[in-house]
Amino acid sequence: MRLSGPEAAATRPAAAGAGPVDILVGIPSFNNAKTIGHVVRAVEAGLAKYFPGRRSLLVNSDGGSTDGTTDAVREAGVDLDSILIDHRADGFRKLVTPYHGIPGKGSAFRKIFEIAREQRAKACAVVDSDLRSITPEWIELLVKPVLEEGYDYVAPYYMRHKYDGTITNTIVYPLTRALYGKRIRQPIGGDFGFSGRLAAFYLDKDVWQSDVARFGIDIWMTTTVLANRFKICQAFLGAKIHDAKDPGADLSAMLHQVVGSVFDLMEEYPETWKSVRGSEPVETYGFAYSVGLEPIKVNLEKMTEKFRLGVKDLGPFYRTFLPPDVLAALGDMAARPGREDFAYADDAWVKTVLGFALACRRKKARREHIIKSLTPLYLGKVASFVIETWDSGAEEVERRLEDLCLAFEKEKERLIAMWDGNG
Amino acid sequence: MKGFIDKVIIEPLREAAQKIVAFLPGLLTGVLVFAAGLLVAWLVKLLVARIVRLFKLDAVFARSGVTEALEKMSVRDTPAKLIGRTFYWLVAFIFFILALKVMKVPVIDQLLEKLLLYLPNVFVALIILAIGWLLGNFLGRAVLIASVNAGVRVSSLLSRGVKGVVMLFAFVMAFEQLGIGRNTMVAAFAIAFGGAVLALALAFGLGGKDLARTYLEKKFKKDEDAGPDDLEHL
Repeated sequence: MRLSGPEAAATRPAAAGAGPVDILVGIPSFNNAKTIGHVVRAVEAGLAKYFPGRRSLLVNSDGGSTDGTTDAVREAGVDLDSILIDHRADGFRKLVTPYHGIPGKGSAFRKIFEIAREQRAKACAVVDSDLRSITPEWIELLVKPVLEEGYDYVAPYYMRHKYDGTITNTIVYPLTRALYGKRIRQPIGGDFGFSGRLAAFYLDKDVWQSDVARFGIDIWMTTTVLANRFKICQAFLGAKIHDAKDPGADLSAMLHQVVGSVFDLMEEYPETWKSVRGSEPVETYGFAYSVGLEPIKVNLEKMTEKFRLGVKDLGPFYRTFLPPDVLAALGDMAARPGREDFAYADDAWVKTVLGFALACRRKKARREHIIKSLTPLYLGKVASFVIETWDSGAEEVERRLEDLCLAFEKEKERLIAMWDGNG
Repeated sequence: MKGFIDKVIIEPLREAAQKIVAFLPGLLTGVLVFAAGLLVAWLVKLLVARIVRLFKLDAVFARSGVTEALEKMSVRDTPAKLIGRTFYWLVAFIFFILALKVMKVPVIDQLLEKLLLYLPNVFVALIILAIGWLLGNFLGRAVLIASVNAGVRVSSLLSRGVKGVVMLFAFVMAFEQLGIGRNTMVAAFAIAFGGAVLALALAFGLGGKDLARTYLEKKFKKDEDAGPDDLEHL
């Protein structure tokens, strides 16, 4: 562990015998020198402004950056006078540490959990290092429900562009909601608040050599909370604007890690999700408002082309586990040349996703092959969604997603029957 | 005249009859051994089916792509059933050899000896083919999924090509194991493989030069309209 600047001696609490901290904020990073300075300043300002009397520790868990990310963390400092904060946060410390294990966000989080347990932190938060829209208020909203309201987990609620977070919107949110019955809008948001006892609970789980160590960490954290009945709420954080996650990241690898983690968790907690019917909202903190978001470019041709290619070439593989009505719908869609006729109906999509989950459960083929073969169908669903909501506003899109969620909830009984081999 | 008939017809017939009578117990024993073998083979088939069910091998075969490959080849039986049937015929064959052995016919004995010495090669060759088939299916499917996800239009062809190359390797190795046209097989493989690579190189070089130019232009020339989309999936 390397400690930053003049606080170095005081920041080695475990080794130097310093006392526990009240708040720990973790920032996982890998080559984020451009943006991490802003995130560190926002965290420091948030801690100074909203938790002046608390001892707090900022932990940067870095994956071996070579672009000066760790230097940017050490050098970042906020001029508290300029943001009208007259009290100094004397208890604030920074810690820059590399993480070990499989390279990925999950391994970075594991290091943060270890330090949280070591420091006996009461409340923790993790925020992404590529955020451009983070403000000091995010820290208040992620930490306060834990410190003052007794929550164990605070999930983020952002305003995002209608076509941002498409894996979340078309698979993870509706499926998690239908399974565990809680309407957590951004279950893989990336920025969370959690209690110290939850950090210790996470650490005791033997998952750190799986996809959880990579992109699967976010859904694993949220689902573990839901399945183990920890107290959960959401915090409205405003807009989420950040650098592209990893421009080189392969979509099918991302799907494999995220969707694979959701399916793994279905295997791990079957009795929990089978006992749940319907869904209910959770307490949401923060002042909701609408924000203007930058328009994004969508290449529909490329998506529909990949969908058609997938249906044509992977058709024989799909036939081994997808129901005939879904196969017929896919064939029908692929055969239509016009963009305006391209529509992936919700019920067909729900049956597709559940078909993949059941295929993984029944080991119809190698799990990685099954999940990665979902990619062209997922792109088809995204393309269909984009075409359908091209002229829609944010609220209308949310209503549309609500319909999709209800379609997932409607299929739950059938999923339970088929999961147990009766369907 | 009578002596002549005895010598030319009766005597050989008597000898033949004696030989047949001497051979009959052996033949009978052989038939009995073979019949017992069929019974044992049937029992082995049942046992294998039970073991396959116990270890859920059908799921394993489905995972490795064997079931899908069989379906494509219009084989209606499950891999587990096929294994059971293979064991049935293997045991039946062993008992057939035993049956021939107990008949004690010198020519058959010599042939059997040669066959038995050759059998391990056949067994190893079959194993090589089976592994080649499994590996070919697995790699073929992996290539198919990866290339479809990458938007490659000839994904199916690529997948079949990979499967074909793996099977070609397996066949060459199997034939080498069997000692059939060893030099011819290696030379044929080298020619076929080298020819395929050369053909591909020429095809890419000549047929794909425009494609390569378009690709490089797309890669290095900034084109606002044709770029990838900005969708953030997570």
